[in-house]
Amino acid sequence: MTDPARRPDLGQRLFGVDIPSPVFLASGTCGYGREYADLIPLDDIGGIFTKAVSVEPRRGNPPHRVAETPGGMINAIGLENVGLERFISVKLPWLRDHLRRAHVFVNVVGRTVDEYARVVAGLDPHEGFLGYEINVSCPNVEGGTLFGTDEGALAELVSRLRAETGRPLIVKLTPNVADVGVFARICEEAGADGLSAINTFPGMLVDIHRRRPVIGHGSGGVSGPAILPMGVYATWRARQVSSLPVIGIGGIVRGEDAVQYLIAGASLVQVGTASFVDPGAAVDTHLGIEAYLTRHGITRLSDLVGTLEGGAP
Amino acid sequence: MSTRAVARDTWWLEFDCPDIARGARPGQFVMLGLGLDAPGTWLLPRPFSIGWRCGSDGRLGFLLRVFGIGTRALARLDEGDEALLLGPLGRPFEVDPGRDVELVAGGVGLAPFIFLAAEHRSSGGALRLLYGERDAGAVFDLPLLEELAGHAPELYTEDGSAGTGGLVTAGLDPASRASLYGCGPTPLLRALAAFAAAHGRDLQVSVEEHMGCGIGTCQGCVVPGADGRWIKACVEGPVFRSTELAWGDR
Repeated sequence: MTDPARRPDLGQRLFGVDIPSPVFLASGTCGYGREYADLIPLDDIGGIFTKAVSVEPRRGNPPHRVAETPGGMINAIGLENVGLERFISVKLPWLRDHLRRAHVFVNVVGRTVDEYARVVAGLDPHEGFLGYEINVSCPNVEGGTLFGTDEGALAELVSRLRAETGRPLIVKLTPNVADVGVFARICEEAGADGLSAINTFPGMLVDIHRRRPVIGHGSGGVSGPAILPMGVYATWRARQVSSLPVIGIGGIVRGEDAVQYLIAGASLVQVGTASFVDPGAAVDTHLGIEAYLTRHGITRLSDLVGTLEGGAP
Repeated sequence: MSTRAVARDTWWLEFDCPDIARGARPGQFVMLGLGLDAPGTWLLPRPFSIGWRCGSDGRLGFLLRVFGIGTRALARLDEGDEALLLGPLGRPFEVDPGRDVELVAGGVGLAPFIFLAAEHRSSGGALRLLYGERDAGAVFDLPLLEELAGHAPELYTEDGSAGTGGLVTAGLDPASRASLYGCGPTPLLRALAAFAAAHGRDLQVSVEEHMGCGIGTCQGCVVPGADGRWIKACVEGPVFRSTELAWGDR
């Protein structure tokens, strides 16, 4: 029998709200939440990061859009999404009406600073979500990583969005830079409230029979267990140079993986590709973190965050 | 689960999964994988058409042919092993009771038609099952097929080593008015779509595309729609009227 009084507290106060679980579903792997509602109890985890939303609907890339890779998968969906108007009229009301405890961050994407700003300004007055995750790191559309790899452009974007909203503003970083830390610091200086580390790595698979890329777009983003160490490193690096809460992403399939991110400095984590293998992966990750804390006599999750000893400079 | 070899590199898998079997209809599919704790291998689940249902004990049958790493891993499943099944998923075939049907299968596209033929037995309409393979070695165990489907197939092989030599489309009858159903490689489906259009025939096809999740979240499994949209095979299909799809782009 577990003594309820001895159960560790996985809740944290972040972004001005109580977040009951550190585990979220990652953008692009959970649709707009509804798709998973029959499969897992969304209120048993921290919440979700939605599929990207752009001003206009996007058609996305030709197939194949996904393929398995050693230790993961490659995808090039191309930010297919319903667009701002339909997100507000159809997707957001469902989230508002069906989630009790789980928090929602809307992943926002644009081609220009203005497009990002129009999405944020359009969403801001509506209910049903907590904040934004700004996607400056999609490797699968032309210019998708532009804002994530150009220091000046990133600073301009984040400053502009900061002026548009008082809601939590999280920037999803790309690993495709020499030093993630530089971009983490820019986000903090420009007024961001948090960092998601990291998006997918660019990759390619070749169909050796047809001598063509397997993925219709040519290249794609690699996710899954193969990128776990890179995600942990990016999380650690972002935490080293900024005081913002970091949300660790990349290759988390169970509690022990998430615990690596938490020790390296993540306050929250996102489970992505693993949900495709087992829709229950995020809930199991939450339970796995809880079991770790219990086993190590840690009563509060926040006592674990950023407790890495040693570590390279 | 249980497994048996039924052709070269081809297995017939049966799983006890009463919750999925109960509501399953021909044309629907299941995401079949080994879960996150499978030793030594990372494996996204793969979509499989439901090939058969034993109503009395909640078993489902699937036809598996080894094409790559995923199917090879699944082919190693042994008696009593467990797997992770998510389903039944997707849009099933529509079948009007009493109507004559012609099912045209290429390779492992045979799978959903075993289920459809078995379910059609009680409907009263006539049924033809046209089944094409590359050669005799690839042909599904015929006595087992007849036992499961309740129909003997009209067999075609491209090299003539079993059944009638040539492509399975040679068996199509322009004079027939039966409803057409197709499942198999895209060139076969394209040829069927052209035949159906030329002869004013109703055709439903079950399509295949790389899938990530099977439930519409990853948007990975799109096929080109006649209206210019990319259509998700998992939740809007995998069964489509042939007129819903664009065939030139495929």
